[in-house]
Formats: sequence, structure tokens, C-alpha cells
Amino acid sequence: MVTIRIFRYALPLLILLLIPGTTVALTADEIIKKASLVYNYAGDDGVARLKMRIKDRRGRERYREMTMLRKDIEDGGRQYYYVYFHRPADVEKMVFMVWKNIGKDDDRWLYIPAIDLVRRIAARDKRSSFAGSHFTYEDVSGRNPEDDEHTIMKDELLDGRPVYIIKNVPKDKDIVEFSYYVTWIDKGDFLPRKAEYFDKARRLYKVFTVEKIETIQGIPTVVKIRAEDKGRGGETVVEFEDIRYDVGIKKSVFHERYLRRPPRQWIR
Amino acid sequence: MRKCAVVILSAVMTLYVFTVCVYGAERVHGFFEGAYGLKLGDERGEKNSYNMLEGRLQARYTYNPALMEDWDPELFLKGYLLADDYREAVDGKIRELNISFTPLAYVDAKMGRQILTWGTGDLLFVNDLFPKDYVSFFIGRDDEYLKLPSDAVKVSVFLEDTALDIVAIPFFKPNNTIRGDRLSYYDILLGGIEGKKSDHTFSKPPATFKNIEIASRLYRTFGAMEASLYAFKGFYKQPMGIRDAAGGEFYFPGLNVYGFSVRGPLSRGVGGVEVGLYDSSEDRGGRDRLVENSAIKYLAGYTMDLGDNLSIGLQYMLEEMLHYDSYRTGLLEGDFIRDEFRHLMTVRLAKLSMNQTVESGLFVFYSPTDRDIYMRPSVSYSATDDLRVTLGANIFSGRYDYTEFGQMEGNNNIYTRVRYNF
Repeated sequence: MVTIRIFRYALPLLILLLIPGTTVALTADEIIKKASLVYNYAGDDGVARLKMRIKDRRGRERYREMTMLRKDIEDGGRQYYYVYFHRPADVEKMVFMVWKNIGKDDDRWLYIPAIDLVRRIAARDKRSSFAGSHFTYEDVSGRNPEDDEHTIMKDELLDGRPVYIIKNVPKDKDIVEFSYYVTWIDKGDFLPRKAEYFDKARRLYKVFTVEKIETIQGIPTVVKIRAEDKGRGGETVVEFEDIRYDVGIKKSVFHERYLRRPPRQWIR
Repeated sequence: MRKCAVVILSAVMTLYVFTVCVYGAERVHGFFEGAYGLKLGDERGEKNSYNMLEGRLQARYTYNPALMEDWDPELFLKGYLLADDYREAVDGKIRELNISFTPLAYVDAKMGRQILTWGTGDLLFVNDLFPKDYVSFFIGRDDEYLKLPSDAVKVSVFLEDTALDIVAIPFFKPNNTIRGDRLSYYDILLGGIEGKKSDHTFSKPPATFKNIEIASRLYRTFGAMEASLYAFKGFYKQPMGIRDAAGGEFYFPGLNVYGFSVRGPLSRGVGGVEVGLYDSSEDRGGRDRLVENSAIKYLAGYTMDLGDNLSIGLQYMLEEMLHYDSYRTGLLEGDFIRDEFRHLMTVRLAKLSMNQTVESGLFVFYSPTDRDIYMRPSVSYSATDDLRVTLGANIFSGRYDYTEFGQMEGNNNIYTRVRYNF
């Protein structure tokens, strides 16, 4: 493990030294692509327990708790998600499943245990709220880097760490509610640290702040993130617990069988 | 009434405290619900100012015993206590009591009382022949109660992308249909819309080995497309046969259904098609006027996300009566004549607002051939994670007294439900 890490960091450095006169500067596209891989595609699969605290603008709190399973079909490409709800009580045992597609709409299913119903959900709108929180579906499963034009605004220090600040402008403005967003990406681990979204009037309306990062199985992982609605007020804080990577989740888990009978190996 | 309510409430509280203490609050969930439905229609029922006034405690409990862990057994219990003022009765009912297990890596089994659902329809059913409770549906109870449980054994076999479900139901359970006590309807024997005056008997098939109902589904996924084949052998869930017209005896004739469905992404939404051939096994030629004719049901559906938490669902159903000429020949003077084709459309609009705490919806059934309509508007608000208030209505209208929704005209209602989840 240690040797691998030495190689991971040493190799690029070596190349840098061997090629005199060149400075290896990543383009904005490369940075965003790398950040997307680090943030959304860590390991080949993963399982985590999500605790979501949603506060509306009047300060009323709601609480969601779920187990999320993820499997990557290809890095940077298709993924399967399986979200099992533990809380609130009225949606306990409900399962939401997504086959994330690149270049076409996702496939979504919802299982409603009280009536044993597997429902297909039309999933055109990736920008609607996930489970009533301040995160959209796309915030949960990751926005495709190809959907935006990226430019580096500047390099800076954020909390003492060097970051890239990148402006992202959507290619298709009609299907999103923002005009652009800015992300702060750590130069060391390439995890996003912060993102600011600007509405059509170019006013700041949403801020995501990564509040805690832990290294799990050698992978730097966001374990706490806050989304604040600066326009209307309110916020959602998500904490990830019991994170495990590469646990060997089979592709077959993401099918109707396991909607009706959740895989207890991972969901307790 | 007041004394009764106090007794019920204390019984309910004791039961709740008991279950929580014994099993721990983490494992027992459920709700308390109060529901009231104001009747706007006729005065033919047993009570005429309302058709729902009830309190319900529903609890569910999941238990994973630490034995035969390779089979991953899970015991599930869901029951309720219903204090029903309309019927002036308190009922305790087990809604689900079943055990699920995985005897082989590719086989799942579920035995006991369970809710069963399949097919592609939204509140319309073609190949789902499992029992339904239309009384609950029409008076404004939660959608959950449209489905009635079956005492059944379900075995599922999974091979790659293909799966087979086989369900055996040894004890016949019919739909809970309108019989005039709470909701008025067109009584074909009395020849008009009737309420409590309607008094008939409904004979169920006896529980014999031969009468075990079998429902099966073979399905396969092709990427995001799902294709299913269905076969059912059993009985009509509605009393579609008359055994003794003078004595007012209805029964549930034999029925076989063969069908298929396809569902998957289509253009900007999700589309589906489902077809079922209803083989009325006791009247194959269609000559018997006292037994329902065979039929084919065609259903096409499409749902789309319009953005901004608004979605729309559209369905079109065509029911074709087979052997229509024989049916016409068999009729007697005075019988009303049904059409060969019945067209039915539905529209569902659903909107989430205020951080998805408010859910507004409208579901409309409309039949251009029967010239009747049924509208189900509703709004529900989650005041907290645990407290939900629902307001809704069931509105029926039709040109003729004898059509599916036209006969319901006297049953219009506005209802409200308050539910506390725990």
C-alpha cells in the first residue's frame, strides 16, 4: 500500500524532473474530471449510512436516514445506486434505485413496501430535490463533467490548503436553474471543498461546504457536507457513516429482486 | 360512543407501550390515524351524513431470527386496531404476517399473509388479480388499503436477467366490493341505484385443493426495459356470476387470465403496455347471461416528469367483451345492454412543494363510452416528519345509473385524515 502511494506521487514528480523546461499544469477539464472520479467513483463499489438533517427557513428540522449502495460500471461512466430508507418512520423500508446513465436520462425505480409496488419513475429532472433536502439528485450522484464548460479562475488557499477555483458554465442553460457555479478543488486530494451556485440573475443562492474529510481504506472521503440555501434560507447537513469501499456488491443487487427483499448483508 | 372511545384509546395506548417496552422502539413502527369523511351524496346508506369516522392504530414489527442464517429468514407482522364508528365496531386485524427466506442463492420464498402487487398499471389492473378493497378506496382511506392481503405462498426463482414468480393462494379472498351498506350502487337485480335495501348473498368457492388459485409471472430485463408474461388460474374477484336471481345469490365464477407487459424508458418519460386475456371458464361461449363474458383488456401508460416537482401520468385502457353476439342473443327483455367496448382514460397529476412537504395530486378516471368520470383530488402536508394531514375528495359523475362511476354518484365525499407516525 505504502509503496503504491509512493509511486502514485513519485512517478509524476519524476516525469516532471526528467522533462526539463515543461511545467505540468492541468487544464480545468482535467481537474474537474479528476475531482469527479475522486468524489463520485471512489473504489469499485461502496456502502454508507447517510444521516440527513434538513432545516427549513423557519428553522423546523426534519431528519432522514438511509443506507446507500453504489456500484460503478465504468469509472466516470455508468453507476448503480440503491438507497434504502430507515427514517422517517412512514418511509421505512422504502427503496429508491437509480441507474445513472451518461448522455441519456437516468433510470429510476421506487419500491413502496406497504403495497409491494415497484414503480418506475420518469427522471427527466435531475435538478429537483432529493428526499426534500437541499441536495438535488445530481448533487447526490454527481454532475457529468461534460455538461459544463470549465475555466480556472485562480489558485488560492482555502483553510491553508492550496485549491483550484473553477468556474463551471452549463452547456444547456435551459435544463438547469443556475447560470454557473464555482468549485474549490483541493490540489492535493482533488476533493471538492466548496461550491457556490449562482442563479439566472447571477445572485449567489446555494453554498456547499465540505466540513469533514476522513481517509477510509486509503481513500480520502467526504464525511460531512453542508448545503445552505442563501436565497430562501434553510440548510441540509449530511453525514456519512460506516463507509466501506470495495465490499463486492454484485450488479444483480440493483434489480427488482432486491427492491422487494433488501440485501441484509449491507442493510441492517 | 364516548365510553367506547375511551376504552379503545386506553387499550391502544397499553398495547403501544407494551410493544415498545418489550421489543424496543427501534423495531416497532406504525401510526395512529383519525379519519373523517363527509358524505355529499344520497341517503341510501346506513348512515347518511358521513361515510367514514374512524381511529386506527397500525403497528409493524420486523424480526430476523438468529437461526438458519444461511436462509436469511425474516418475520414480518403488521396489524391494526380499527375503531370504526360507521360500523359501530372495533376490529383487530392482521394485515401481514409472513416469513421470507432464501433457501437457495437463486430462490426467494415468502409464506403467510402478504400484500401482492405486479403489473404496470397505475390504479388500473390487468394482470394483477390479487384482492382489492374498493370500499376503502372510494371512501377516502389511504391508498395502501386498496390492496387486500392474500394468505399465500410465493416462490421466486432468479436466473441472470430472468425471474419467475409463482404464487399459490389456497383460501379465496374476493375484492371488498360495494354492497349497499356504506356506498350505494346500481343493483342489477333490483334494477336501480340502491343502498341498504340491497341485500344479497355472495357465495365464495369452497377451499378445496382444486380451487387453489395460482398466479405466475415470468419476467426479464433487457437493459432498462422490463418484459413480463403472466398466467392466472382462479376466480373473478368481483361477484361476476348470478347463481340464483330470485334468491339474490351472487358468486365468483372461474377465471383464467393470460397476459404480458412491457415497460421502459420512452422518449422523455416511462412508457408501458399491458394486455390480458380474461378467459371466463364457466361461460366460454358467452351465451350464459348470468356469467361474465370473456374479455381482453389492453392498457397503455405513459408518465413524464415536467420539472419543478410536477409529474403527469396518462393511461388508456380498452376492454373488449368477447362473444358479444352470443351475449346479445342471451339477454332477456329488461336486461340493460352493455357495450362491446369500454374505453377508459386516466390522468394523474402530482406536485410536490414547500421542500416536498406538501403533496398535491389529482387522479381522474374518464370513460368516453360509459360517459362517466371519477375525480380524486388530494392535498397532504407533513407538518413534521411524524405528523401528516391529508385532505381529499372522491367525486363521481355519470350520464347513466348503471356505469362503473355513474352508479357512484350518490357517494361523493370530502375526507380528512390526520396521521401520527412512530
